[in-house]
Amino acid sequence: MPHDAQPTTPNPADGAGDRRSFLTKSSTLLMAGGLAAGYGTFAHVAGRFLYPAAPRAKTWMFVADLGNFAAGSSMKYRTPDGARVLITRRDAKDDVSAFKALGSTCPHLGCQVHWEPQAQRFFCPCHNGAFDTEGLAISGPPKDANQSLPSFPLKVDKGLLYIEVPAASGEEV
Amino acid sequence: MSTSSTWWKERFPVPAGQLKELTNEPVPNHLRHWWFCLGGTPAYLFFIQIVTGILLAVYYRPGQSEAWQSVREITDEVAFGWFIRSVHKWGATLMIASVILHQMRIYFTGAYRAPRELNWMVGMLILICTLMTGFTGYSLVYEQLSYWGATVGANIMDSVPFVGSFMKNMLLGGEAYNSHTLSRFFILHAAVLPVAMLLLLVVHITLIRLHGVTEFQFPQDAARPSKTFNFFPDHMLTELMIGLVLMIVLSALATILPATMGPQADPLTTPEIIKPEWFFYVVFRWLKLFSGTAAVLSTGFILFVMFLWPLIDGWIRRRTRASELSVWIGIVAVLAIIGLTVWEAAVAH
Amino acid sequence: MTITTKKSIIGVLGFLFLLSLIFVQWHEVTRRAEEAGLSEALAVIPDSSKACYDCHKQKTPALVDHWRGSTHAEKGVGCVECHQAERGDADGFDHEGAFIATVVTPRDCSRCHVTEGAEFAASHHAAGGNILASLDNRLAEVVEGARVPFNPHAKSPVPVGSLTQVNGMASVQLGCMQCHGSKVALATTDGGTITVDDLKPGPDGKPTVTAALAKVQKDQHGRPVLHSSAWPNTGIGRLNLDGSKGSCAACHSRHDFSPRRARQPEACGKCHMGPDHPQKEIFEESKHGIAFRDRMSEMNLDAKHWVLGEDYSAAPTCATCHMSGNKKNGGRVTHDPGERISWTLRPPVSIPMDTDEKHAIVKELDPEKRAALVKDSAEAKRRRMQEVCSHCHTPDYVNGFYKQYDDLVVLYNEKYAKPGAAIIAALRKENLLTAPEFDEKVEWTWYLLWHHEGRRARHGASMMGPDYTHWHGMFEVAERWYTELIPEVRELLEKARHNGQKEAADRVSALVEGIMARPEHQWSGPQKN
Repeated sequence: MPHDAQPTTPNPADGAGDRRSFLTKSSTLLMAGGLAAGYGTFAHVAGRFLYPAAPRAKTWMFVADLGNFAAGSSMKYRTPDGARVLITRRDAKDDVSAFKALGSTCPHLGCQVHWEPQAQRFFCPCHNGAFDTEGLAISGPPKDANQSLPSFPLKVDKGLLYIEVPAASGEEV
Repeated sequence: MSTSSTWWKERFPVPAGQLKELTNEPVPNHLRHWWFCLGGTPAYLFFIQIVTGILLAVYYRPGQSEAWQSVREITDEVAFGWFIRSVHKWGATLMIASVILHQMRIYFTGAYRAPRELNWMVGMLILICTLMTGFTGYSLVYEQLSYWGATVGANIMDSVPFVGSFMKNMLLGGEAYNSHTLSRFFILHAAVLPVAMLLLLVVHITLIRLHGVTEFQFPQDAARPSKTFNFFPDHMLTELMIGLVLMIVLSALATILPATMGPQADPLTTPEIIKPEWFFYVVFRWLKLFSGTAAVLSTGFILFVMFLWPLIDGWIRRRTRASELSVWIGIVAVLAIIGLTVWEAAVAH
Repeated sequence: MTITTKKSIIGVLGFLFLLSLIFVQWHEVTRRAEEAGLSEALAVIPDSSKACYDCHKQKTPALVDHWRGSTHAEKGVGCVECHQAERGDADGFDHEGAFIATVVTPRDCSRCHVTEGAEFAASHHAAGGNILASLDNRLAEVVEGARVPFNPHAKSPVPVGSLTQVNGMASVQLGCMQCHGSKVALATTDGGTITVDDLKPGPDGKPTVTAALAKVQKDQHGRPVLHSSAWPNTGIGRLNLDGSKGSCAACHSRHDFSPRRARQPEACGKCHMGPDHPQKEIFEESKHGIAFRDRMSEMNLDAKHWVLGEDYSAAPTCATCHMSGNKKNGGRVTHDPGERISWTLRPPVSIPMDTDEKHAIVKELDPEKRAALVKDSAEAKRRRMQEVCSHCHTPDYVNGFYKQYDDLVVLYNEKYAKPGAAIIAALRKENLLTAPEFDEKVEWTWYLLWHHEGRRARHGASMMGPDYTHWHGMFEVAERWYTELIPEVRELLEKARHNGQKEAADRVSALVEGIMARPEHQWSGPQKN
């Protein structure tokens, strides 16, 4: 294959020099473009690979049958992800409105709240946030930001209570 | 523009002229011919393996209870996980194949001869590291063949006299595969061996630069004005082309023949057919032709001869007239390697 | 190659690389779309059952694996949810921090599966345990075995331990009761048993006669010992300690409680097979069974929603016609197969399934009284069944079949069943048969005629199995009648005449000969002796 040992000086007298320098410039552009297109896309693929997966679909999970859930009582529930939820039954109505499911993660900066029976409130030890029985913030930084404890959707179907949580993924063992 | 470049030059005093001279090696004309690219190919693939390997390590979990599961998640759930894993797997295959072909090229063109004998030995070390990396890498998937292949391999190592038992214990972290083994394989595969290979590569390339690449004369090049051409940009562009072709080949292989998952390792059940990875078929078959110590000793002897080949070859050429003997030996060796590999691939036991 | 050329080639290769990655991207998208439909749901172990799971994964790993594959596991229903017992339950015990009972009854399942439990409890399946008072029971308990244990008559080695007594009830326990259901019993310290009859449970399932509980034998772990005469048992009419009847696990085998399995003929075939009611064999012979075997993979058996005409239409299974939902009935499943059955083919003489409010068959013959009693007529039941048929078959076809079916049942009834029953009843009334059942040949003959061959003929007709209707059915009914029953009865009557029972024998003989003189029997000619 022929190879130019030295680049020829373009002679302005003949148009060949202009053509050659145009080709040279455009070939450099083509090369840059091709490299960017190829390796750039690969980098994009790697980026998608690294970025954590989108949140999973939600599913309805069985909690209890209504006959086994006394009015006025609470039940601790753990989601497939491991999050802690407190489910309370306010009255004896066999309707979903009698129930409330509150997560225990403080909306301020993510610490775990605990129930204080003496004060009838949920308390967060990190920055002294507090929430009432409905999960609404009553003092501390969460109150300033008008936040509440996360609430999980519930439904009652054929006398059974279900909670909507992110579906499990991977081996749940 | 000049102020910023002076700013840089003050803070980053790189001697540009010297650097250019250092890196812009004159590349002998024979390297225009494509089959001399077999050295750069594994080097480029090594780089690809490092990149894909790091990506995989982000999701891989070493540990007997989680390893297989994490590989399954990479293959089935992570975005493009199957692709990165398959590129890594095919990259390994191509890298080992090209390293072997490169070694054959060096052998048949006698590029190992004086004063380049030591570089051949460095290359042998790189070969061993590459094969070990392939071996440890496959063990990390913790499929049935990963576990049993590692067990059998370690036990073969055990039968090496004097140092065998020591080597096996160091490799497995115990007398047999146990809860420490997978971590050892992981550190070997992801840290120790890559760093070792990198250092050996630096030595390998430095020696080439210092000695200069062995020159060959091709008839069609005789008419050229110069015996060499520039690394920058000519050869560099050739390397870029090869790199892109390899990327396309890897993408195609990854899509058409992606990496799959075998059953998870079961320490209580040995599968009917245990085979190592394809690159060990020749050794596996060779060992099966002999018994016990004879097998290990003969393999050791062959490795020893391979290692010291430049010296042996030099000794032969000084003593006899058979200056082409090495070629014939090489042909026999290549045929034997191909034969033993195919034989092992064709049969179950 | 000039540098320019090289650069251009690199450019082109770069775009080819990009193309290959676009192909990779397309592959990824397709794969994700496929997986969205195929991804397996995963087991979630609720906190309450975590300890159970961890231990039993070592002790009974396959049991745990079965549960993991179930919908219960998907939804977070674990071990304690089903096995939990309340203080006061006869068979409850403390086990590793939970108060549980081994036997899970329909009462337990009904906590969540209310409708199914109620339908099942009203069904004939739940009444399967009633066999314990029937003739069949005598056959197994007395004729085949012995109601009281007896001593072995020589020293004989046994695999484990030594042989001291022979359990004469073994045939009932492993045979009849495994399909019909046992009476669950707790062992007592004095060697006896306690059953639902002793405990007399109230509506909450707890025993009202608590004195009996004091005698319950406990093992070294404090567990009440379930007597081996009645456990293990998943008979469909099992009489449980809490007063409920049946076992849901009879069809929905544990611990994966797979609806898929319950939809297939093999589930029913554990019991609905054999010489006396070969429904499974008849199904397999019939066109329905042939279609099912051929197209089973298209039946969508794994689907949660399994409605004929919507989710599948390839072929019917037992469940399709007798229980499952179909498009025309709004996908409504019933756990009471009796809802769609118009003839009862069980008794010696088949009668229509007009049932009263208690789901019992109305036997009243006076039309007015009958009409008042009947809550769900046989005709209504038949219409429900025909609703299923009509998904594949036109009305003419269906009606024509039912005429054929009715004709066969009536033929059997009128030619053999009613006359035969009358003859046997007459023999008994005239004291020409000994008191114990099954000690005379003619009793066996009559039993086999209606209980085996007669049922085979009727079932074969009901499910379009021609061979069972005829060769295994009516042919053998006829053979039994003409070559065995009638000659044996005549012989018996002859002996009776010589034994001083002449008048009685003559009266019965008049009945018999009157029957044999009927047009349908005339072909066999007069009595030959």
